[in-house]
Amino acid sequence: MDKLLRNALKQLTAPDAESRRRAMEPFVRATFAIFIRHLHRYLGNEVECEDVLEDVYADIWENPEHLRAIENEQQLLRTVYLYYMRKRLREVYRRMNRSSYLSQTDVQNLVAPELSLCDLISQSELKQVLHKLLGKLKARERKAIELWMEGMSNRAIANQLGTTVGAVKMLEFRTVLKLRRMLKEYCEED
Amino acid sequence: MPNTDNTHREIQELLADYAGALRDGCLPTFLKSLTREEAKRISESQDFWEAAEVVRLMNSAGFGDHVVTPDVGLFISRVDAGIASRQKKKAGASARERSRSTVDVQ
Repeated sequence: MDKLLRNALKQLTAPDAESRRRAMEPFVRATFAIFIRHLHRYLGNEVECEDVLEDVYADIWENPEHLRAIENEQQLLRTVYLYYMRKRLREVYRRMNRSSYLSQTDVQNLVAPELSLCDLISQSELKQVLHKLLGKLKARERKAIELWMEGMSNRAIANQLGTTVGAVKMLEFRTVLKLRRMLKEYCEED
Repeated sequence: MPNTDNTHREIQELLADYAGALRDGCLPTFLKSLTREEAKRISESQDFWEAAEVVRLMNSAGFGDHVVTPDVGLFISRVDAGIASRQKKKAGASARERSRSTVDVQ
Protein backbone atom coordinates (compact mmCIF):
# COMPACT_ATOMS: atom_id res chain seq x y z
CA MET A 1 0.00 0.00 0.00
CA ASP A 2 1.11 3.55 -0.82
CA LYS A 3 3.05 5.20 2.07
CA LEU A 4 0.86 8.32 1.88
CA LEU A 5 -2.28 6.22 2.23
CA ARG A 6 -0.80 4.16 5.08
CA ASN A 7 0.04 7.32 7.05
CA ALA A 8 -3.36 8.86 6.34
CA LEU A 9 -5.07 5.70 7.58
CA LYS A 10 -3.01 5.76 10.76
CA GLN A 11 -4.00 9.38 11.46
CA LEU A 12 -7.58 8.70 10.53
CA THR A 13 -8.02 6.23 13.34
CA ALA A 14 -6.68 8.68 15.96
CA PRO A 15 -8.96 9.15 18.97
CA ASP A 16 -9.38 12.94 18.73
CA ALA A 17 -11.71 14.35 16.11
CA GLU A 18 -9.45 17.27 15.13
CA SER A 19 -6.53 14.99 14.15
CA ARG A 20 -8.92 12.87 12.15
CA ARG A 21 -10.21 15.98 10.39
CA ARG A 22 -6.64 16.98 9.46
CA ALA A 23 -5.94 13.45 8.21
CA MET A 24 -8.93 13.57 5.89
CA GLU A 25 -7.23 15.65 3.20
CA PRO A 26 -4.38 13.19 2.45
CA PHE A 27 -6.83 10.31 2.81
CA VAL A 28 -9.21 11.83 0.24
CA ARG A 29 -6.31 12.59 -2.10
CA ALA A 30 -5.09 9.00 -1.89
CA THR A 31 -8.47 7.31 -2.26
CA PHE A 32 -10.79 9.61 -4.25
CA ALA A 33 -10.09 8.01 -7.64
CA ILE A 34 -10.51 4.46 -6.31
CA PHE A 35 -13.76 5.17 -4.46
CA ILE A 36 -15.44 7.35 -7.09
CA ARG A 37 -14.77 4.77 -9.83
CA HIS A 38 -16.26 2.08 -7.63
CA LEU A 39 -19.37 4.15 -6.92
CA HIS A 40 -19.75 4.88 -10.62
CA ARG A 41 -20.36 1.16 -11.19
CA TYR A 42 -23.63 1.37 -9.31
CA LEU A 43 -24.89 4.88 -10.04
CA GLY A 44 -23.35 5.92 -13.35
CA ASN A 45 -23.93 9.55 -12.44
CA GLU A 46 -21.03 11.82 -11.55
CA VAL A 47 -23.03 14.22 -9.37
CA GLU A 48 -24.70 11.46 -7.36
CA CYS A 49 -21.33 9.67 -6.97
CA GLU A 50 -19.74 12.81 -5.49
CA ASP A 51 -22.69 13.42 -3.15
CA VAL A 52 -22.55 9.85 -1.86
CA LEU A 53 -18.79 9.94 -1.50
CA GLU A 54 -18.94 13.20 0.46
CA ASP A 55 -21.19 11.49 3.03
CA VAL A 56 -19.00 8.37 3.00
CA TYR A 57 -15.91 10.41 3.95
CA ALA A 58 -17.81 12.24 6.70
CA ASP A 59 -19.05 8.86 8.03
CA ILE A 60 -15.47 7.58 8.01
CA TRP A 61 -14.35 10.65 9.97
CA GLU A 62 -17.14 10.11 12.50
CA ASN A 63 -16.64 6.40 12.93
CA PRO A 64 -13.31 5.12 11.54
CA GLU A 65 -13.26 1.93 13.65
CA HIS A 66 -13.57 -0.44 10.67
CA LEU A 67 -10.41 0.96 9.08
CA ARG A 68 -8.06 0.01 11.93
CA ALA A 69 -6.42 -3.10 10.50
CA ILE A 70 -6.36 -2.36 6.78
CA GLU A 71 -3.36 -3.88 5.05
CA ASN A 72 -3.93 -3.36 1.35
CA GLU A 73 -5.98 -1.38 -1.16
CA GLN A 74 -8.32 -4.26 -1.94
CA GLN A 75 -9.13 -4.74 1.73
CA LEU A 76 -9.67 -1.00 2.09
CA LEU A 77 -12.14 -0.88 -0.81
CA ARG A 78 -14.00 -3.94 0.48
CA THR A 79 -14.28 -2.51 3.99
CA VAL A 80 -15.31 0.95 2.82
CA TYR A 81 -17.93 -0.54 0.47
CA LEU A 82 -19.42 -2.88 3.06
CA TYR A 83 -19.41 -0.56 6.07
CA TYR A 84 -19.81 2.93 4.61
CA MET A 85 -20.70 3.07 0.90
CA ARG A 86 -23.42 0.45 0.83
CA LYS A 87 -25.44 2.17 3.53
CA ARG A 88 -25.28 5.47 1.65
CA LEU A 89 -26.00 3.84 -1.73
CA ARG A 90 -29.14 2.26 -0.29
CA GLU A 91 -30.36 5.71 0.69
CA VAL A 92 -29.92 7.24 -2.78
CA TYR A 93 -33.06 5.72 -4.27
CA ARG A 94 -34.75 4.79 -0.99
CA ARG A 95 -37.91 6.60 -1.93
CA MET A 96 -37.86 5.33 -5.51
CA ASN A 97 -40.04 2.30 -4.76
CA ARG A 98 -42.96 4.70 -4.26
CA SER A 99 -42.87 5.54 -7.96
CA SER A 100 -41.50 2.21 -9.22
CA TYR A 101 -43.03 -1.26 -9.22
CA LEU A 102 -39.68 -2.76 -8.30
CA SER A 103 -39.60 -3.77 -4.64
CA GLN A 104 -37.35 -1.95 -2.16
CA THR A 105 -35.14 -5.05 -1.93
CA ASP A 106 -34.73 -5.24 -5.72
CA VAL A 107 -33.92 -1.52 -5.96
CA GLN A 108 -31.30 -2.04 -3.25
CA ASN A 109 -29.89 -5.09 -5.02
CA LEU A 110 -29.57 -3.06 -8.18
CA VAL A 111 -27.95 0.00 -6.60
CA ALA A 112 -26.11 -1.47 -3.60
CA PRO A 113 -25.59 -5.18 -4.30
CA GLU A 114 -23.59 -7.74 -2.35
CA LEU A 115 -19.95 -7.72 -3.42
CA SER A 116 -19.25 -10.40 -5.98
CA LEU A 117 -15.91 -12.06 -6.55
CA CYS A 118 -15.05 -9.79 -9.48
CA ASP A 119 -16.17 -6.53 -7.87
CA LEU A 120 -12.85 -5.92 -6.17
CA ILE A 121 -10.72 -6.15 -9.30
CA SER A 122 -8.87 -2.86 -9.71
CA GLN A 123 -9.81 -0.60 -12.61
CA SER A 124 -6.63 -1.33 -14.58
CA GLU A 125 -6.91 -5.09 -14.08
CA LEU A 126 -10.59 -5.00 -15.02
CA LYS A 127 -9.77 -3.31 -18.31
CA GLN A 128 -7.07 -5.87 -19.06
CA VAL A 129 -9.29 -8.82 -18.18
CA LEU A 130 -12.23 -7.54 -20.22
CA HIS A 131 -9.94 -6.91 -23.18
CA LYS A 132 -8.60 -10.46 -22.91
CA LEU A 133 -12.06 -12.01 -22.55
CA LEU A 134 -13.52 -9.97 -25.41
CA GLY A 135 -10.81 -11.51 -27.58
CA LYS A 136 -12.26 -14.94 -26.84
CA LEU A 137 -15.74 -14.04 -28.10
CA LYS A 138 -17.10 -14.50 -31.62
CA ALA A 139 -16.44 -11.49 -33.88
CA ARG A 140 -20.09 -10.35 -33.88
CA GLU A 141 -20.42 -10.67 -30.10
CA ARG A 142 -17.19 -8.76 -29.53
CA LYS A 143 -18.18 -6.01 -31.96
CA ALA A 144 -21.55 -5.48 -30.21
CA ILE A 145 -19.94 -5.17 -26.77
CA GLU A 146 -17.06 -3.00 -27.95
CA LEU A 147 -19.43 -0.60 -29.71
CA TRP A 148 -21.62 -0.44 -26.60
CA MET A 149 -18.58 0.35 -24.48
CA GLU A 150 -17.66 3.12 -26.91
CA GLY A 151 -20.98 4.73 -26.04
CA MET A 152 -23.03 3.82 -29.14
CA SER A 153 -26.79 3.37 -28.93
CA ASN A 154 -28.38 0.01 -29.74
CA ARG A 155 -29.84 1.49 -32.91
CA ALA A 156 -26.39 2.61 -34.07
CA ILE A 157 -24.96 -0.82 -33.20
CA ALA A 158 -27.78 -2.46 -35.16
CA ASN A 159 -26.93 -0.30 -38.19
CA GLN A 160 -23.26 -1.25 -37.90
CA LEU A 161 -24.05 -4.95 -37.65
CA GLY A 162 -26.76 -4.80 -40.31
CA THR A 163 -29.47 -6.17 -38.04
CA THR A 164 -32.45 -5.07 -35.94
CA VAL A 165 -32.39 -3.35 -32.54
CA GLY A 166 -34.20 -6.35 -31.03
CA ALA A 167 -31.54 -8.74 -32.36
CA VAL A 168 -28.79 -6.52 -30.94
CA LYS A 169 -30.39 -6.52 -27.48
CA MET A 170 -30.65 -10.32 -27.56
CA LEU A 171 -27.05 -10.63 -28.78
CA GLU A 172 -25.82 -8.31 -26.00
CA PHE A 173 -27.81 -10.17 -23.35
CA ARG A 174 -26.40 -13.58 -24.37
CA THR A 175 -22.88 -12.18 -24.72
CA VAL A 176 -22.99 -10.51 -21.32
CA LEU A 177 -24.04 -13.81 -19.72
CA LYS A 178 -21.22 -15.54 -21.58
CA LEU A 179 -18.79 -12.88 -20.34
CA ARG A 180 -20.03 -13.42 -16.79
CA ARG A 181 -19.20 -17.13 -16.94
CA MET A 182 -15.74 -16.32 -18.28
CA LEU A 183 -15.18 -13.59 -15.65
CA LYS A 184 -16.27 -15.93 -12.86
CA GLU A 185 -13.80 -18.57 -14.05
CA TYR A 186 -11.05 -15.92 -14.17
CA CYS A 187 -11.80 -14.66 -10.67
CA GLU A 188 -12.01 -18.17 -9.19
CA GLU A 189 -8.69 -19.14 -10.79
CA ASP A 190 -7.16 -15.94 -9.45
CA MET B 1 -56.55 -17.62 -20.84
CA PRO B 2 -52.86 -16.91 -21.59
CA ASN B 3 -51.68 -13.35 -21.50
CA THR B 4 -51.12 -12.21 -25.08
CA ASP B 5 -50.21 -8.65 -24.11
CA ASN B 6 -46.82 -7.98 -25.68
CA THR B 7 -46.42 -4.36 -24.59
CA HIS B 8 -44.11 -5.37 -21.73
CA ARG B 9 -40.39 -5.47 -22.39
CA GLU B 10 -38.65 -8.84 -22.50
CA ILE B 11 -35.81 -9.50 -20.09
CA GLN B 12 -33.09 -8.79 -22.71
CA GLU B 13 -34.75 -5.45 -23.47
CA LEU B 14 -34.93 -4.64 -19.78
CA LEU B 15 -31.24 -5.37 -19.41
CA ALA B 16 -30.41 -3.19 -22.44
CA ASP B 17 -32.46 -0.36 -20.96
CA TYR B 18 -30.85 -0.79 -17.51
CA ALA B 19 -27.40 -0.73 -19.15
CA GLY B 20 -28.31 2.39 -21.13
CA ALA B 21 -29.66 4.13 -18.04
CA LEU B 22 -26.55 3.27 -16.04
CA ARG B 23 -24.31 4.51 -18.84
CA ASP B 24 -26.27 7.76 -19.14
CA GLY B 25 -26.50 8.22 -15.36
CA CYS B 26 -30.30 8.19 -15.28
CA LEU B 27 -31.25 5.10 -13.29
CA PRO B 28 -34.37 6.75 -11.76
CA THR B 29 -35.86 7.09 -15.26
CA PHE B 30 -35.37 3.36 -15.82
CA LEU B 31 -36.83 2.49 -12.42
CA LYS B 32 -39.89 4.66 -13.04
CA SER B 33 -40.41 3.23 -16.52
CA LEU B 34 -41.00 -0.32 -15.25
CA THR B 35 -44.49 -1.77 -15.39
CA ARG B 36 -45.69 -4.15 -12.68
CA GLU B 37 -45.16 -7.11 -15.03
CA GLU B 38 -41.63 -5.97 -15.97
CA ALA B 39 -40.68 -5.50 -12.32
CA LYS B 40 -41.89 -9.05 -11.68
CA ARG B 41 -39.84 -10.33 -14.63
CA ILE B 42 -36.70 -8.65 -13.28
CA SER B 43 -37.33 -9.91 -9.78
CA GLU B 44 -37.69 -13.51 -10.95
CA SER B 45 -34.92 -13.60 -13.54
CA GLN B 46 -31.60 -14.93 -12.28
CA ASP B 47 -30.13 -14.15 -15.72
CA PHE B 48 -31.00 -10.47 -15.34
CA TRP B 49 -29.19 -10.17 -12.01
CA GLU B 50 -26.14 -12.02 -13.30
CA ALA B 51 -26.01 -9.93 -16.47
CA ALA B 52 -26.49 -6.71 -14.45
CA GLU B 53 -23.32 -7.60 -12.52
CA VAL B 54 -21.29 -7.64 -15.74
CA VAL B 55 -23.00 -4.52 -17.10
CA ARG B 56 -21.81 -2.65 -14.00
CA LEU B 57 -18.24 -3.83 -14.59
CA MET B 58 -18.43 -2.91 -18.29
CA ASN B 59 -19.78 0.50 -17.37
CA SER B 60 -16.92 0.98 -14.97
CA ALA B 61 -14.26 -0.15 -17.45
CA GLY B 62 -15.73 1.89 -20.30
CA PHE B 63 -16.73 5.10 -18.58
CA GLY B 64 -15.39 5.02 -14.99
CA ASP B 65 -12.40 7.20 -15.79
CA HIS B 66 -14.62 10.13 -16.81
CA VAL B 67 -15.79 10.66 -13.22
CA VAL B 68 -12.35 11.22 -11.76
CA THR B 69 -11.95 14.96 -11.29
CA PRO B 70 -8.37 16.05 -12.05
CA ASP B 71 -8.32 18.41 -9.06
CA VAL B 72 -9.88 17.05 -5.89
CA GLY B 73 -9.26 20.30 -3.96
CA LEU B 74 -12.83 21.52 -4.32
CA PHE B 75 -14.19 18.14 -3.30
CA ILE B 76 -11.93 18.11 -0.22
CA SER B 77 -13.42 21.50 0.79
CA ARG B 78 -16.90 19.98 0.53
CA VAL B 79 -15.87 17.04 2.70
CA ASP B 80 -14.30 19.37 5.25
CA ALA B 81 -17.42 21.57 5.34
CA GLY B 82 -19.53 18.43 5.91
CA ILE B 83 -17.30 17.37 8.79
CA ALA B 84 -17.36 20.89 10.29
CA SER B 85 -21.14 20.86 10.17
CA ARG B 86 -21.29 17.49 11.93
CA GLN B 87 -18.82 18.73 14.56
CA LYS B 88 -21.02 21.79 15.13
CA LYS B 89 -24.14 19.64 15.45
CA LYS B 90 -22.39 17.38 17.96
CA ALA B 91 -21.17 20.36 20.00
CA GLY B 92 -24.67 21.88 19.95
CA ALA B 93 -26.22 18.60 21.04
CA SER B 94 -23.81 18.17 23.98
CA ALA B 95 -24.31 21.84 25.06
CA ARG B 96 -28.09 21.30 25.07
CA GLU B 97 -27.56 18.08 27.04
CA ARG B 98 -25.43 19.95 29.63
CA SER B 99 -27.92 22.79 30.07
CA ARG B 100 -30.78 20.28 30.42
CA SER B 101 -28.95 18.39 33.20
CA THR B 102 -28.16 21.73 35.00
CA VAL B 103 -31.86 22.65 34.94
CA ASP B 104 -32.74 19.19 36.29
CA VAL B 105 -30.33 19.58 39.21
CA GLN B 106 -31.77 23.02 40.11
